[in-house]
Amino acid sequence: MATFVDRYPEEASVVKATLVVSFLSLGIGALFGLVQALHRTGYLRILDSVDYYTVLTGHGVLLALVFTIFFLMGLFTWAVVQSLERPLPDIRLSWAWVGLTTTGAVFAAVAILAGLVPSIDMSADVLYTFYAPLMGHPLFYIGLAMFIVGTWLAGADWFLAYRDWRGDNPDERIPLQTFMVLTTMLMWYLATLGVAVSTVFFLIPWSFGWVETVNPLLTRTLFWFFGHPVVYFWLMPAYMLWYTVLPKLAGGRLFSDPLARVVFVLFLLLSTPVGIHHQYLDPGIAEGFKFIAMTNTMFLLLPSLLTAFTVVASIEHGARQRGGEGYIKWLGALPWRDPAFTGMALAGAMFAAGGFSGMINAGMNINYLIHNTLWVPGHFHLTVGTAVALTMMAGSYWLVPQLTGKRLYSRPIGLLQVVLWFVGMVLMSNAMHRGGLAGIPRRTAEPQYQNFEFSTMLGSVEEIQAGIALGGTLLFVSAVLFLFNILLSSIEDPIENPVDDSLPAPLSGASGSPVVLDNLRLWTAIAVVLVILAYTLPLAGIVGDAGVWGDVPGVPVWVSGNLDAALAALPEVIA
Amino acid sequence: MRMTRAGLLVLVAFSIPVAIELRVLFGFFGVKLPLTASIVFEAVFLLLIAVFYNVSAEPKSATKN
Repeated sequence: MATFVDRYPEEASVVKATLVVSFLSLGIGALFGLVQALHRTGYLRILDSVDYYTVLTGHGVLLALVFTIFFLMGLFTWAVVQSLERPLPDIRLSWAWVGLTTTGAVFAAVAILAGLVPSIDMSADVLYTFYAPLMGHPLFYIGLAMFIVGTWLAGADWFLAYRDWRGDNPDERIPLQTFMVLTTMLMWYLATLGVAVSTVFFLIPWSFGWVETVNPLLTRTLFWFFGHPVVYFWLMPAYMLWYTVLPKLAGGRLFSDPLARVVFVLFLLLSTPVGIHHQYLDPGIAEGFKFIAMTNTMFLLLPSLLTAFTVVASIEHGARQRGGEGYIKWLGALPWRDPAFTGMALAGAMFAAGGFSGMINAGMNINYLIHNTLWVPGHFHLTVGTAVALTMMAGSYWLVPQLTGKRLYSRPIGLLQVVLWFVGMVLMSNAMHRGGLAGIPRRTAEPQYQNFEFSTMLGSVEEIQAGIALGGTLLFVSAVLFLFNILLSSIEDPIENPVDDSLPAPLSGASGSPVVLDNLRLWTAIAVVLVILAYTLPLAGIVGDAGVWGDVPGVPVWVSGNLDAALAALPEVIA
Repeated sequence: MRMTRAGLLVLVAFSIPVAIELRVLFGFFGVKLPLTASIVFEAVFLLLIAVFYNVSAEPKSATKN
């Protein structure tokens, strides 16, 4: 029985190329994470305070955008090809989007990393949330634009594959994994309109000096138009693995195909008209629009809770197939020796905690308590930093052997790695949440105020610092173990069946789900209407207040080369 | 129920958030536990798990098979 690389060698090469970029970014981003964790807690400071923000931007962009989305592109390519059981329509198109996204990512990374070299007059310390008035080097924005266009091309590649399949199978239901890819990409096309407009029409001309001013609130709003749904763009690959691979690893089958389709449709509908919940403290947006965003956000709990039910039911089914019994004892029958299973299961457990802290972020009143504090990175290290990242690493232990035809180098090291990630993240994110409740700010190299003490509810600030430093160190060790294991796996000798890559049919199959769920035009149209309802009036108000181009000149962040310009611009920005 | 080494590892991992959040739980009732209380709880828990593992662990020959 041949595995994926034997059946689709060209597509396997495409997937491997995306994973190489993804894992390289993971390594650099993880190193930057360690540097930050030790710097801001005061345990080891090898950087100037200014360079901290270069490292912070690199950490955010390389992990949240490059690592996750390149992994997604590889996973989705694998999913479309293997679920449609046919190669991609034109492999040249596939290599074109791999090349464009990689070049874009390299441009953005170069612009950021150049900030560490004083002799290069280039920097993009604008943080992962790259809206105005912080101004990065044009190369950064150009790279981002290429990256986004590259993802659009990747989506087109998958839609073309689906179109070909549909031509041969006019009456079939869309295979579940392809359905997941298509709905996710429809959401992505809609969501990236905001960041594309912001980058191409405002930030690139502004950073080149072609236009002198910008409307910061407009670029912030356009960023968050994209900035929240991108969370689901990270999360949907994890959901795909939880729905279609995790039940198999547990020894069972997906509980319900129809529920899985409903969940992905709900994410298509609800992911985008919620971004204003990131702007609760922004002046210039009426409170009513923020309230609407909060309401929409709370609706997003529904697909997450449906997922919790479906995935846990599927895992329990698997455990009972393996002889598990009782209300709780069946947990002991699960394949905890398998790092792919254990990593995904631990990631799912952490996601539950992240969901609860996310509800605090989403609530308009209690958000004020933790806004811009360490709570926020504590939250998203549970979601993207664990639910997504740990699932991707664990999934790699099952996916990579299919792409290489070689066995995994070490399952025990893999198991240790995923458990270390879990423990490290427990320590770090718990400390971050507690620090946030004490008012410790995020995005600050050395948080301190003269004659001010942060008042913690439990323990001390020193204890919180220790938790962050120790957790961050364990996470870095875990990332190194992962890369080490994958690297050594790639130089193993090929074998015939490196992994059981078959995916069993769901207990409740597609035939039991309403046909309307596969009507992608209908769901896309409703999603567009919801976005128009949520954003038309706020955007009109923002443009009406300060104009399309605004009146803010911007703050160049390549401080070493532009200190005078930055200082000259500051009073005007503040005024 | 026999415990495997992998099960032991996962159980130890799960005990860490429990030990940490124990202080939060007691905090709800106005009881401020010191950090050492969490450390002692974790140590006792690990000891109990180790004992349970030694009692219930699979024989080596069974593991090999």
